[in-house]
Amino acid sequence: MFPIRDDNPQLNKPYATYGLIAANALAWFLLQGFGFGEQLQASVCQYGLIPSDLFSNELLDARPAGACPPGGAGWLGVLTSMFMHGGWMHILGNMWFLWVFGDNVEDAMGSLRFLCFYILTGLCAVAAQVIADPGSSIPMVGASGAIGGVMGAYIMLYPRVKVHMAVILIIIFTTFRVPAVAMLGYWIVLQLLGAFSSIGSSGGGVAFWAHVGGFVGGAGLVWLFKDDELLLNHPYHGWQQQKRAADVWNDPSNRE
Amino acid sequence: MPEIRPMYKGDIHHIIRIIDAYDDDDAEAAEEDYEASGLEDQFVLEVNDKVIGVTGFRRVEATDKTAWLSWTYVDKAHAGQGYGKAMLGQLLDKLKEEQAGKIFVKVSNYEDPEDGKIYERAHKMYQSLGFELELTNKDFYDEGEDQLIYGKVLTQSTEEELEVLEEKPVIRFNGMYEIAESEGAYTFSWIVEEKKAFFGKRSFSVDDLRIGLQAVKNDGGRKVFLTFPSNLPLIHQPLQAVGFKYIGNLTDYYEKGVHEMHFSHSLDTIE
Repeated sequence: MFPIRDDNPQLNKPYATYGLIAANALAWFLLQGFGFGEQLQASVCQYGLIPSDLFSNELLDARPAGACPPGGAGWLGVLTSMFMHGGWMHILGNMWFLWVFGDNVEDAMGSLRFLCFYILTGLCAVAAQVIADPGSSIPMVGASGAIGGVMGAYIMLYPRVKVHMAVILIIIFTTFRVPAVAMLGYWIVLQLLGAFSSIGSSGGGVAFWAHVGGFVGGAGLVWLFKDDELLLNHPYHGWQQQKRAADVWNDPSNRE
Repeated sequence: MPEIRPMYKGDIHHIIRIIDAYDDDDAEAAEEDYEASGLEDQFVLEVNDKVIGVTGFRRVEATDKTAWLSWTYVDKAHAGQGYGKAMLGQLLDKLKEEQAGKIFVKVSNYEDPEDGKIYERAHKMYQSLGFELELTNKDFYDEGEDQLIYGKVLTQSTEEELEVLEEKPVIRFNGMYEIAESEGAYTFSWIVEEKKAFFGKRSFSVDDLRIGLQAVKNDGGRKVFLTFPSNLPLIHQPLQAVGFKYIGNLTDYYEKGVHEMHFSHSLDTIE
């Protein structure tokens, strides 16, 4: 079950969303060797974020035996890890979600602001994951934290917009529509369940806390980044049935 | 009753004298308008080979369906004898032949200290011809002198009632000027700009309006009047936020269902 599109009109070309997808794809092709062979493993270690590298002193601390040799990205990994992925399904899934939800969030803030917003929610995601497991030596990669932020923004901006979900059951393919708040709410609940069940585990896998951190960061930052005037372009924003903009003049105090 | 005929250049001098006998501001504005916009659709009424009245219309640029009545005066010697009404009746027939949907006219309610309500007769005549008052721009020409806008439906539109599509162009102000014939009433001219892709689609902001209002205040202005088509949802929030008041609509001004909305700001909140 996955979202295929939403009933949300697009007014401006989502250049930043296109650009981010292109950047992720370029990193995948150029730096990660299409996910094949040793280049994938090497790139994850080189550009991924290793929490234990951030606060340790390599000379003094005995580095826990990790999956990666020393000499990773360090603090730079906070940024570079957002453009790295661990496999074809990982990058395709992330880019698909960015494609479905990113354009409308970008439409509510303009491309440059959206780009800043995306990077910031990526930082929120990294922060959440690092705080949850600061000693981890497992490299973290993926745009999903930042995309979690985009989804957090989407649930705040367009909770009632219908999202088309595709269901594939062996040979049956069907679609149905749910409000964004239900689809994204379900998603964040899954992430929270995953996050809490991952406490104490030291193994790799999905960085649930990054998803949660990105989502919460996005849901908060969107209030700073959204542009009410641009949102007027969207007939279905917010919880309430949108009034016509001209209705403001019905108020006697706004009349001569 | 004589027929109206097209106005020629040679008539202008005499026409301006007729108008000037009532209102020198109007005479000046009319002369400028004839020079700037030409004599197309302008007419005069001749009695015994002498021009005694003037009328005409100007089409609204954005549509072929509506027009504004031009300066319409009958010289003082012939006023009150039915010439004005006859002249206008002929003009309205011409407009109907051309399938015009609606005509509007602006009239002052000026009260002269000596001559009293000099436009009272004009108001009565328009009303008797079926013009209806659509809105009043208070203190438009001067403090205490309003502009009343009347409209008359000429041909009922046979178009079906369609849902009016809202448009979201990027509107920017590109000038500020004192409205002709007025003392201290200003307006802003605006243009539709290409949208700026990287910054999203953005029309004028509250700050843009404040800058404009401040400039009017600094220029000694009294009041600002703005008009916009009614299908632009992005204009309302900034206009309201900066304190513009809604005056009213000229119904079906652009097309059926798209009105001209009038707003004013009295600059009282501007330092």
